[in-house]
Amino acid sequence: MTPGQSEQAPALEIADLNVRYGPVHAVRDTCLTVGAGQVVALIGETGSGKSSLALAAARLLPRSAAVTGQVAIAGKEVSGLGGSEFRRVRASLLGCIAQDAMAALNPVVPVGRQIGELFAVHAGMSRPQAAEAAVAALAQVEIRHPAAVARLYPHQLSGGMRQRVMIAMAMALAPPLIVADEPTTALDVSTQAEILALIGELRARMRSGFLWITHDMGVVAELADWAAVMYAGRIVEQGPVDVIFDAPAHPYTEGLLATRRDLRSGAPGAPLFQIPGSPPGPGEEPPGCPFAPRCPRATAICNEVDPSLEPAVGEGGAGLAGGAGSMNGHRVACHHPAADAVGAWAAPAGPAEKPAAKTGDNLGTAGTVAL
Amino acid sequence: MARALIRRVVFGLIAVAGVVVLAFLLEFVVPGDPAKAIAPRAQSPAVLASIRAQLHLNQPLIVQFAGYFGNLLRGNLGTSYIQRQSVASLIGPRLLTTGVLALAGVVAEVIIGGALGILATLYGRVRALISAVNLTLLAIPIFVLGLLLLLVFGFQLSIAPVTGGAGPAQLVLPALTLGLIGAPWYAQIVADQMQDSLASSYVRTAVSKGLSDSYILRRHVLRNVLSPAITMVGLDLGSYLSGVVTVEVVFIWPGIGLLAVNSLHNLDRPIVMGTVIIGAVAVVFFNLVADVLRMFVDPRTREEM
Repeated sequence: MTPGQSEQAPALEIADLNVRYGPVHAVRDTCLTVGAGQVVALIGETGSGKSSLALAAARLLPRSAAVTGQVAIAGKEVSGLGGSEFRRVRASLLGCIAQDAMAALNPVVPVGRQIGELFAVHAGMSRPQAAEAAVAALAQVEIRHPAAVARLYPHQLSGGMRQRVMIAMAMALAPPLIVADEPTTALDVSTQAEILALIGELRARMRSGFLWITHDMGVVAELADWAAVMYAGRIVEQGPVDVIFDAPAHPYTEGLLATRRDLRSGAPGAPLFQIPGSPPGPGEEPPGCPFAPRCPRATAICNEVDPSLEPAVGEGGAGLAGGAGSMNGHRVACHHPAADAVGAWAAPAGPAEKPAAKTGDNLGTAGTVAL
Repeated sequence: MARALIRRVVFGLIAVAGVVVLAFLLEFVVPGDPAKAIAPRAQSPAVLASIRAQLHLNQPLIVQFAGYFGNLLRGNLGTSYIQRQSVASLIGPRLLTTGVLALAGVVAEVIIGGALGILATLYGRVRALISAVNLTLLAIPIFVLGLLLLLVFGFQLSIAPVTGGAGPAQLVLPALTLGLIGAPWYAQIVADQMQDSLASSYVRTAVSKGLSDSYILRRHVLRNVLSPAITMVGLDLGSYLSGVVTVEVVFIWPGIGLLAVNSLHNLDRPIVMGTVIIGAVAVVFFNLVADVLRMFVDPRTREEM
């Protein structure tokens, strides 16, 4: 069941996590495990709750957010810790890599000092020692002339260099967990590849687990061991990356992959695949499955009962839950999960031909999946 | 960077020259005959004419201006019509007196305004109270506040001198007046800047590094507040040095402002011109100083310059 195969405690264990912003229920009853040294990709559209989930795990949400549930990092239960208690241990438990390194670094403090203060505050080093350690950390992320770079300010660095600084900072104390929020989205393609290679290497060396928020399926395929797909605040499907890619069980996951397939192999000029409709906004969630109004396989039960995350049935297997498919941890929240490789979106389906009963009033409005 | 600085100095000098031209022209818009101010009892037109001739007042405007500007370029601000002393020797000591007041006023407004801004940002409970204080201070005319302070602390409580002068005891109330009038602006800038900073991504990064609130405030937030505050200090020092007229008049502080007002009454054009030029130079100079200081505080401005 747990994706972590090693005896080590998982990097991150989230149980029954809920995040509410006032009346808005951003994350619902979510459970997720990041095994030691594993990369778990959290995939979803803007507003799906993936950032809220990750920030809740890192305890970086604003005070206005109400968070319930359990979070354990490297086997240590942290959700019960008080603010200052957690502050003392947090940097040695988890590091964070933000999407926009320019904004995430203080513009008026040299980058070396921004890394060094971690060592000064948490490792009790003197200023010169911390500065030296910061230079070493910059060298770790393959920055040339680290001593000179340490004295520079964020705006004097390139985008790739800034992201390396962020990575050096996140990994400075070699934490078991790194929460990365789309760390390569803001970078150009070649820099992106460099950063991905660097993270792959550091991960192998440091054995840190990653919770990696992304909407780039290419990055998921390249780096992740495990993928969790979020929709409307829920994890609707999760499993090993190759299983998710080869045999997605949730129609939403299938839709995401179809978009990617079109991008890769679609005829030039042909329209890209889009999942029709748009996700439910806050307060307009249907009583049943939140994806039902957009789903080609939806039936009556979908509009009434919100499906829970259950072990998925393996490829071609018509077995019971707990059969071969569940052994690899593949789980899906769907009343009609795909039982074969022919996806829900395989046949071109116009809104008029959709077999399922629709309740959503956004029927037929071809909303773009913001991926 | 040196080239950028030189460019700024050149632009500053051009601005000062522009002020000189404008002030010179304005002098002639002010009605009145300086000759009559110099010799109020002289009835004979011949005497007045000879005074005008002596001061070159009967020459065409452009010739007068050329003469004045030529002297100015040689560092000569001219001679007072009334006091028969060089303008420089009259302004010099006054500049020092006004400088003391300007500095004390800026220190007061930075302390009062900074404290109000920081308190309003950190303690939600006093925020409404502080914005009420800010609004009140913004609404009070400076001379009303000055007279009020003088009335309360000088006449009622008798703990501050009311006689005027430039001593340390006399400095307190005018500096406090400047401080209170300027404080809301600093409070606003500090509060805005702090709120931006606290909501910023880099503060979230600092939180994620397990740094304490007070450490984040000192090392990450306040550094980002400094830069706009320095700009404002530069502007204030410059404009105060050109004469805090109202405050100097209310508290009879013998500075440039008081000198300028008296000289305007007497149509003593060289002194008025002198105070205007000193003011313009002060504004340009302190803006430049503020820009240079900001380069040390905010590295991004180094490239802008």
